[in-house]
Amino acid sequence: MTHSLHRRGSSASLANDYVILVTPAVGFNDEGAPDKLREALEVVLEAGPANIGSYATGTVFAGATPEEIRKGLWEQPRVRCAFAGREQVKRVLEELKKKDLGLSVTVSGLTDEVLDLAREVGLKPHSINLSLGVWGNTAALPSEDVLEFVTMCGHGLISRYLVEKAIDLVRRGRRTPEQAARMIAPPCVCGIFNPVRAAELFRKYVPAGGREEQE
Amino acid sequence: MYIDPQKCNGCSICIPYCPAGAISLVEAPGSKRGRVAVVDQEACLECGNCIHRGVVKCPTSAFSEDPGIWDTARAIRRFFSDPMVKHPVTSVPGRGTEEVKTNDVTGRVKRGEVGIGIEMGRPCLGTSFAEVEKVTRALAPLGIAFEECNPLTHLMDDRTRGTFPPEVKAQRVISAIIEFTAPAALLPDILRVLREVAPTLETVFSLDLISCFEPDGSLPVLSVLRELGIEPRPNAKVNLGMGRPRAVDKEVAAS
Repeated sequence: MTHSLHRRGSSASLANDYVILVTPAVGFNDEGAPDKLREALEVVLEAGPANIGSYATGTVFAGATPEEIRKGLWEQPRVRCAFAGREQVKRVLEELKKKDLGLSVTVSGLTDEVLDLAREVGLKPHSINLSLGVWGNTAALPSEDVLEFVTMCGHGLISRYLVEKAIDLVRRGRRTPEQAARMIAPPCVCGIFNPVRAAELFRKYVPAGGREEQE
Repeated sequence: MYIDPQKCNGCSICIPYCPAGAISLVEAPGSKRGRVAVVDQEACLECGNCIHRGVVKCPTSAFSEDPGIWDTARAIRRFFSDPMVKHPVTSVPGRGTEEVKTNDVTGRVKRGEVGIGIEMGRPCLGTSFAEVEKVTRALAPLGIAFEECNPLTHLMDDRTRGTFPPEVKAQRVISAIIEFTAPAALLPDILRVLREVAPTLETVFSLDLISCFEPDGSLPVLSVLRELGIEPRPNAKVNLGMGRPRAVDKEVAAS
């Protein structure tokens, strides 16, 4: 499945939105993988992800701690995280290359940016999953403004109704963009929802003279 | 999922979290607020959002899962809608294979082939298996071998015709992914069939196309797509080739 592939939005809004997955292949190289994943997890945590989680624990926005995510690697051996900065992603890839853990690594993001990053780090991409868009009864979909948020959880767990409520709260000055981003983050259990991008997307709903982050 | 009417205090905090819009308030004379929340069982896709830790934060812990669900066709909703549930057939969490994630090691999609993922119901709308069957039946005459390591394939009653039994077709899920690998030469036919079937759907699907880079870094499939008038989205998921042992090395060693 490809829960990080179909993020909607313009190229401008997708810049600085990256998802990194480190995955052992079941039946190929998954024996002993949790220890390698733990090393990968430390690299990721050191770089300062915007979000991180696991199927076993949920995300940091749902109350999971890094220690719980470490322990959860025994049950669901994958590292999943979102980053909001190109340089952080580059640092992670450089470190993972040095460690040569032998686990598969994918990066989702603007294709040209990801391929540039690979070149800069000295990696030779193997394959790609392209998004050919949404087909069928697209008239039944919510607006693109809502889709930009909900498609950051590819599993479809961030409800359109929660997003619409959060937009309304921002419009009425009851939530800051950052608070709204944190409000809709918890349902995305694997931690690829990018709250930094979400806050940027919410910013256009702030009323004139309205509420910005005060914490 | 169920809400215990004795526990629910009618605060309605849960309602916007449900992606299926399955929770509503009903009058409940004598209760704290004169109302309680209920789950429409037909609409509920069993995604587990309401019972996942730290999501809804129900102040009275009123949500629960029917422990008998696993013995019924309704278990399909749990397997396909909740990523925290691992399917026993695939041993992989979620609704499909590891697709491009581990393709450098598994070699599931090789040069000269394409991997197709048709993510039914995604985004937002969800899907019934009756809708899924519209697509699988349309593809089957092309001789498609539906992915073995995908729970959807195991629900079919006839893989050569792409059909599902009635009790499966009645189930609705957040998404179900039709997956297969095919020779790259078949791509125009696959896309033609999808173009024909898409307008007949009540739901939507998001379409994935996996392809391997050539040794020079090029991607021949892009020119094929261009000829067909299909432009990929600007964002993609790239396997960086860091896995070991590499599938291509094994192929070379075997030849």
